[in-house]
Amino acid sequence: MLSASFDWVHLGLGLILSFTVAWINSGHSPFVPNFRLWGKIILYIPWLFFRILQSSLHVTKLILHPALPIDPKLIHVKTKLANPAAVVLLGNSITLTPGTITAEVEPDALIVHALDDISAEDVTSGRIESKIAEVYRNGE
Amino acid sequence: MEILSIIFIVVGLFFLIVAAIGVLRLPDIFSRSHAVSLTDSIGAFFMLIGLALHEGFSMNVFKILAVLALLYLQNPVIAHATVRAALRAGLKPWQREAS
Repeated sequence: MLSASFDWVHLGLGLILSFTVAWINSGHSPFVPNFRLWGKIILYIPWLFFRILQSSLHVTKLILHPALPIDPKLIHVKTKLANPAAVVLLGNSITLTPGTITAEVEPDALIVHALDDISAEDVTSGRIESKIAEVYRNGE
Repeated sequence: MEILSIIFIVVGLFFLIVAAIGVLRLPDIFSRSHAVSLTDSIGAFFMLIGLALHEGFSMNVFKILAVLALLYLQNPVIAHATVRAALRAGLKPWQREAS
């Protein structure tokens, strides 16, 4: 499709290959089709993007500040999310937000490295977590 | 449309330059990875959206959006793997002396 050639050889090859890959992976894929869940995740993305924009500006300010006023630290964050996929989404969101990076994942906690207090507060306040809990509440 | 795409690309370039400065200025691998994540999540976004606007509506826009989606899936994974490897290798994060 992406090569913009719609003749039968390309379409047929693509069909065969994609079905083969799907068939090989069908046994152990956690992503069962669940359209309400996916709809909620798609609604979650613009919110996350707004957070990314805000914290990007904050990190930019930190980097360009002449005195480099950073105070990096490791923080432990307990999480109440039970679903592994929800924890993955939380870890990815934290890492994608500039200023915070997930350093280690344990079954019920995350170790997060934060660039300064304001970035750290993003994670410790549990805003992202409650948003994700909302996404997953009725999705199961 | 052209002007809009130029604005987007210039904003993206600004964030890329800031990220490069950050990698040079920050003290250790943990804080440097924050600067790198600035590149990924905001610099590349503005650059690619600018390119998509420049391209207009065509097949290439879908390719650019696919690149963007893949980037947003991979970058957290790679950043997380790097930082976790550094942590497990026993590197201590740099801290303010006073605290």
